[in-house]
Amino acid sequence: MTKFYAATAIALCFGSAVAAEGTLNLYVWSDSIAPELIEKFSNEYDVQVNVDGYSSNEDLLTKLQAGSSGYDIASPSQHFLRIMIDAGLLENFGANTLDAYANIQEKYRNQWWDETQEYSIPIAYGSAGFAVNTDEYTGPTDSLKYFFEPEGELAGRIAMLSYPDEVVGAAQLYLGVPFCSEDPAEMKRVLDLLMAQKESVAVYSSDNIEGRMGSGEVAAHFWWDGEVVRAAASGAPVEYAMTKEGLVGWIDSLVIPKGAQNRENAIRFIEFISTPENATIQMNHYAHSSPMNVIEAEKKYTVENAPGLYPTVPVVMSRTCSPKAQDLVTRVWTQLLQ
Amino acid sequence: MSEATAHHTDTPQRRRQINLPYVGLAPAWLLMIFALIIPILIIIAVSFAVRGAYGGFDWGFDLSGYRQILFNEGWTGEMEFTPQYLIIILRTILLATVTTVLCLILAVPVAYWIAGQPGHRKSVLVFLVTLPFWMSMILRVYAWMIILGKDGPLLRFFEFFGAPSGMTLMYNDGATLAAMVYTYIPLMVLPVFASIEKLDGTLIEAAHDLYGNRWTTLRRVILPLTAPGIASGVILVFVPAFGAVLEPTLMGGGKQMMMGSLIQLQFGGGRNWPFGAAIAMILMMFVMLVLIGLALRSARNEGES
Repeated sequence: MTKFYAATAIALCFGSAVAAEGTLNLYVWSDSIAPELIEKFSNEYDVQVNVDGYSSNEDLLTKLQAGSSGYDIASPSQHFLRIMIDAGLLENFGANTLDAYANIQEKYRNQWWDETQEYSIPIAYGSAGFAVNTDEYTGPTDSLKYFFEPEGELAGRIAMLSYPDEVVGAAQLYLGVPFCSEDPAEMKRVLDLLMAQKESVAVYSSDNIEGRMGSGEVAAHFWWDGEVVRAAASGAPVEYAMTKEGLVGWIDSLVIPKGAQNRENAIRFIEFISTPENATIQMNHYAHSSPMNVIEAEKKYTVENAPGLYPTVPVVMSRTCSPKAQDLVTRVWTQLLQ
Repeated sequence: MSEATAHHTDTPQRRRQINLPYVGLAPAWLLMIFALIIPILIIIAVSFAVRGAYGGFDWGFDLSGYRQILFNEGWTGEMEFTPQYLIIILRTILLATVTTVLCLILAVPVAYWIAGQPGHRKSVLVFLVTLPFWMSMILRVYAWMIILGKDGPLLRFFEFFGAPSGMTLMYNDGATLAAMVYTYIPLMVLPVFASIEKLDGTLIEAAHDLYGNRWTTLRRVILPLTAPGIASGVILVFVPAFGAVLEPTLMGGGKQMMMGSLIQLQFGGGRNWPFGAAIAMILMMFVMLVLIGLALRSARNEGES
């Protein structure tokens, strides 16, 4: 009996040691990575890949700050990437020496969130704006005015995200207030605008947006470009607004959290997903634009069938706010929903 | 495994020596210490810590987390009394209280009726009451969104009887309450049922014999005897309802913050962990006050009888 237990224990240790070598734990935006690529990578390198999803940068930051997350790869947006580098939460894996770096489109290299590009390889970029259900609303969509000061068909039938950062950012674009403003008077104007809009807002929620929009429960929803493109591709009557004031931009990058157990596999995966062929598969799945050089002929979403991904108006990247500016954002949000 | 058990039962003296009642409770104590006491101590420590610039915290002593509940820098830059968080706290208390009262009003007749059923049917009914708990809570809330939503059965029903089109049942306090009551009512039915089942029917007969009408019997015989069950039902419903996030956000449209979402905001977007921990402490202290109040009351009642 004892012998049997001992043998099992040894086998278990041995087994888990082997398994640990071939493991990769991803913590990325929910449903962001193409399952096809996960399977391909898993087979090609004989690695057990586990994927967990989050739905806000804050979730990721909080988890990394709490320590020993157990993840090997994460995909923060640019402004959170900056915070994570500054807080020493990420591995310097010499991203600029990888083949993946060579395949990044020129204009997305060495940006302010990772000037030397040692910590991150970008994987997707896009924007946030508002989308309308074309069955419910037929008016113009070329200004944020229709969303922030809704009239007629939109009054009482618009929905906001429940993320203060995105909502406040768009309001700042509309009012011409700079992102991360530290001026209380300017932020009071943002609050006043959102307070006035609240009369017309049916719901503040970041969940189940597709259901709410597709069913016509609301006529307009603050949303992300790729999600709108995906919904439209599946037949929902939705359209992404090109607003002349601009769109709030973001770019997500793959990073390795400090102390990752499977660093080698993480780098292998980053190289794998960044080849032109796989970046194309990834873009076709995620429906957000790729900062990589992709195979143009195999792109599923083009200017013709997915205009939302090819903005004709300025896209302003959200920035890393100082604690003082962030407090003002939180104060606006709390007073809005108090 | 079975060998070891047999060995212990063979030597009762030895078992007495190592004082099994205490050793036997060790797993429960360890669980309490690691899963309850230490986390609470950590939250207390964080609530007095110094906030980090981008979330997180540094060890230190700072009362600003608690001060912020009442006093904040206003839009003009002056420190001033800001009732916004008090409003959120009071609203949460109100929602939890109304939920508890509605659950009680609905649960007592249901429990009474179930208790009066023959044995086999009774167990089936109790099973049915617990059935929703087999499903994830988020699914149950989504089910309510379908029921109350546009093109949902309820709205169709109303429209058939001439309700104006464009009417909506979602995203208001009523929708929040419907989901809250639905979610928590089994927690009220079960303890109330357990205490009603134990009720001695002859006492009710006796009350009627002494010319007590139905109302008097309910008030002076049934309610006092089922008070322990009602009290545990109230606790079981009130405490989780106080921290509810899902129903107000999904059903109520998230237009008014509750304490749960306020805490979430501070640990997330607000990046102010000490403040979040301070609100969590306030929430916990309030719940403890309610529990202590109920415990004292039941102790006094027992003393009287």
